Amino acid sequence: MLLEATDLVGGYPSAEQIVKGVALSADAGELVTIIGPNGAGKSTALKLVSGLLKPSAGAVRLAGQDLAGRSPQALARAGLGFVPQEHNVFASLTVAENLEMGCLFAPREAKARSAEAYARFPMLAEKRRDPAGSLSGGQRQILAMAMALMARPKALLLDEPTAGLSPAAAHDLFATIRGIARDGLAVLMVEQNALEALEISDRATVLVDGRNHLDGPAAAVAGDPDIRRLFLGGRQSTPGPQGQ
Amino acid sequence: MEALLQTLVNGLVAGSLLAVPALGFSAIFAVLRFPNFAIGALATAGAYGAWLANVGLGAPIPVAVAIGFVVAGLAGVAVEFAALDRLGRAGHLMKAIGSLAVGMVLENVIRFAFGNDLKAFDLPLARDIVFGPVRIGPQQLASVGFALAAMAAFWAFLSLTSLGRSMRAVADNPNLARLKGVDPTVVALVTVFLGAGLCGVGGTLIGLDASLDPLTGGRILLSVFAAAVVGGLGSIPGAVVGAFLIGITEEMSSLALAPAYRLAVSFAVIFLVLSFRPAGLLGRAVR
Repeated sequence: MLLEATDLVGGYPSAEQIVKGVALSADAGELVTIIGPNGAGKSTALKLVSGLLKPSAGAVRLAGQDLAGRSPQALARAGLGFVPQEHNVFASLTVAENLEMGCLFAPREAKARSAEAYARFPMLAEKRRDPAGSLSGGQRQILAMAMALMARPKALLLDEPTAGLSPAAAHDLFATIRGIARDGLAVLMVEQNALEALEISDRATVLVDGRNHLDGPAAAVAGDPDIRRLFLGGRQSTPGPQGQ
Repeated sequence: MEALLQTLVNGLVAGSLLAVPALGFSAIFAVLRFPNFAIGALATAGAYGAWLANVGLGAPIPVAVAIGFVVAGLAGVAVEFAALDRLGRAGHLMKAIGSLAVGMVLENVIRFAFGNDLKAFDLPLARDIVFGPVRIGPQQLASVGFALAAMAAFWAFLSLTSLGRSMRAVADNPNLARLKGVDPTVVALVTVFLGAGLCGVGGTLIGLDASLDPLTGGRILLSVFAAAVVGGLGSIPGAVVGAFLIGITEEMSSLALAPAYRLAVSFAVIFLVLSFRPAGLLGRAVR
């Protein structure tokens, strides 16, 4: 596995452990979605993997390198990108400056990589001189993702990327995320919009009360009657990356 | 009318001299998230460094101003990492109170080393320049030039360099900046050096405008604070706008009030501005 977290335990300082022994993994080119009820520890688990929170136990390996407990800067340098759910762009910096902030480890490459980002996301080219704070929610998510890709990460962590977006904007964003995984990145995504997330995912992990409840192919998880009843509102889904 | 015009020019001069330390104060607040009240003493330290270079070593004024910048910058870094950084573990309020105490210590160290006597820079005698009804001293004009150059250089650093962008990024969103690989210690060090250095330039320019004593920086501390608050704490353009507003208002008040009321006027401006714009003129609401 390219990205692997095992026996992860941790939470916020001066609070009880929220994550109580979680295993997460994603291979190159694989999109893995983490779902679960509120308070299951999904976002906290991502923060533990990203280094924003320090795990009290467990291992985080990226391409075989043990990174648990390292600073977010060290993890970013090792090739792990993280797009938080909120406040994921520098609102007072322009779009162009945000992209350059994503390329701190290779400043000489910033121009070429920005040009690639503009080619991939033409909206960003149109708004390159605008402050990121003036973008819409969907545009901000695109910028946040483009900024993360500027560092050429090996793996990408996405925390509820479609939160607050319209259904159409969420649909477009899911297509973008699928495309990013197809480019060879390992993508680990926490998502409340479980039905559509499972449709584009390869695998899924269900967390309940800070522990793994179910792991498997996205199609199998989406087809599980208990999961459908609890998290998917009993609706039918047509999971699998071929579905979109 | 002539008096009004002259007072306005005096206010613009005062505002430009105030804007330099206000920029430094605001930059430190934006990145380290606490009001560093040691900036008054740091301004004095820079001014004494410049005075030593000018009077003791015969350095020309531009070189002395640069030395004032470096001395205050290094003193600021020493104060931050020897004392304030430790207090930061107890919270921003403790750090702010600590900065007040460290400022007093530094001020008294300067008093012990140089005494209470007024010091003057080695400046050639020159006639005032007269523009119609308005007079301005050539050194005042040069000081405004230095102040504008310092502000432009700081703006260019923030806008055009990778380190400057990182400083703005940390000020905007420190967690995201860490995720992008920004080293918070390096950014804090650079910010404190530049912020304190700007205070040193401000202290030097004020010393050039009048004279120098251990309270030179302490006297402008509250006006600098007022400028930064009125402009919006942490806002770089806000600090400049606030400094000009405070400088002009303080000077204008001297037409009607005794000079002793200048600070009261500054704080009346704070009260007025914050009543209508709680985040200051150009500040953002803190989330």
